[in-house]
Amino acid sequence: MKKIIFGITISAIAFTACNSDKSKSDINQNNMTKDTSTARSQTNDTTAVIKEAKATVSIKEIVNNYLQLKNVFTKDNSTDAATAGTTLEAAFTNFDNTSLAADQKKTFEDIADDAREHAEHIGKNGGNIAHQREHFEMLSKDMYDLVKAFGGGQVLYKDFCPMYNKGKGAFWISETKEIKNPYLGKDMPTCGVVKETMK
Amino acid sequence: MRSSKRNNEITRMNLKKKIALAFLIAFAGIQFIQPVHNKSGQVLTTDISKLVSIPDSVQVVLKNACYDCHSNNTNYPWYSNIQPMGWLLANHIKEGKAVLNFSKFGNYSSRKQLSKLTGIANSIKDDNMPLSSYKWMHKKARLTKDEKTLIINWVQQSKDSLSAKKLH
Repeated sequence: MKKIIFGITISAIAFTACNSDKSKSDINQNNMTKDTSTARSQTNDTTAVIKEAKATVSIKEIVNNYLQLKNVFTKDNSTDAATAGTTLEAAFTNFDNTSLAADQKKTFEDIADDAREHAEHIGKNGGNIAHQREHFEMLSKDMYDLVKAFGGGQVLYKDFCPMYNKGKGAFWISETKEIKNPYLGKDMPTCGVVKETMK
Repeated sequence: MRSSKRNNEITRMNLKKKIALAFLIAFAGIQFIQPVHNKSGQVLTTDISKLVSIPDSVQVVLKNACYDCHSNNTNYPWYSNIQPMGWLLANHIKEGKAVLNFSKFGNYSSRKQLSKLTGIANSIKDDNMPLSSYKWMHKKARLTKDEKTLIINWVQQSKDSLSAKKLH
């Protein structure tokens, strides 16, 4: 009899453990949506006055986070790249789009939706710099479109390295005219040419 | 003295039996918690096959090596009905679909579609996908060199056709 009761208790625990897990994640989700909605309403209050300035600052912040990531890649540092990737992901998520017109919002979201995922992958793949760089290549395309659409808030250069990815080549965005290659790092630090200057 | 030792042994045996029985009952109990199967049985309008052409040879590889975790239709192995294996699979499928879902490919922005395709080629090239744990149980998912080339070329064609669509 004791055994049976014991067994039933165990299976009961198994049942409830699963259920509580589920409800826990539900609660978490609720909290998260709540958080973002309060955050949004707060930004709504403050941005009314400094509309345009705030948006450029934020885009600039995103660009700066990207540049930081790029600079870490030139030093072949995978762990720092992961940290920079996570920071960039957060920058995209926390971007304040209230000053953008409807079509601009759409352009931004289209770019951000993709770029955020690349940043996230870079963040999660510390230790696998080859994989991080694959995503950095796609991220750089997004960043180029972002800068073209919204401006980078500074002079930026579109650099191209023809050697990366077995001769397929790839470009990146840089804040310096001097070439520092983020794809080949210390193996080929000066491989590349400036293709475009963006002011 | 000797009899108390034997008594000890008996109680220890009993305890072992009890624990074994408890596990057995718990094991039987969890069999009742079956995860919902990932099987819609239909081809959605957002399916990748509605966006780009997929030759039969490619479709076979995608089905054998990718769709179980990256589409709305999983081909379940027999052990999926035994818990906790079924839970494990359900979790893998959930994670896989969150990153890439061929059944809902049309819902991605065109930018993301191109990114996803590039990601597919990269992960095949780098041998990150299919996962080794998956290949262990699925012989057909162990892609040959030719199959890899086939997928990588198909990805390139699909990217070209999608970018051409984007421009027009």
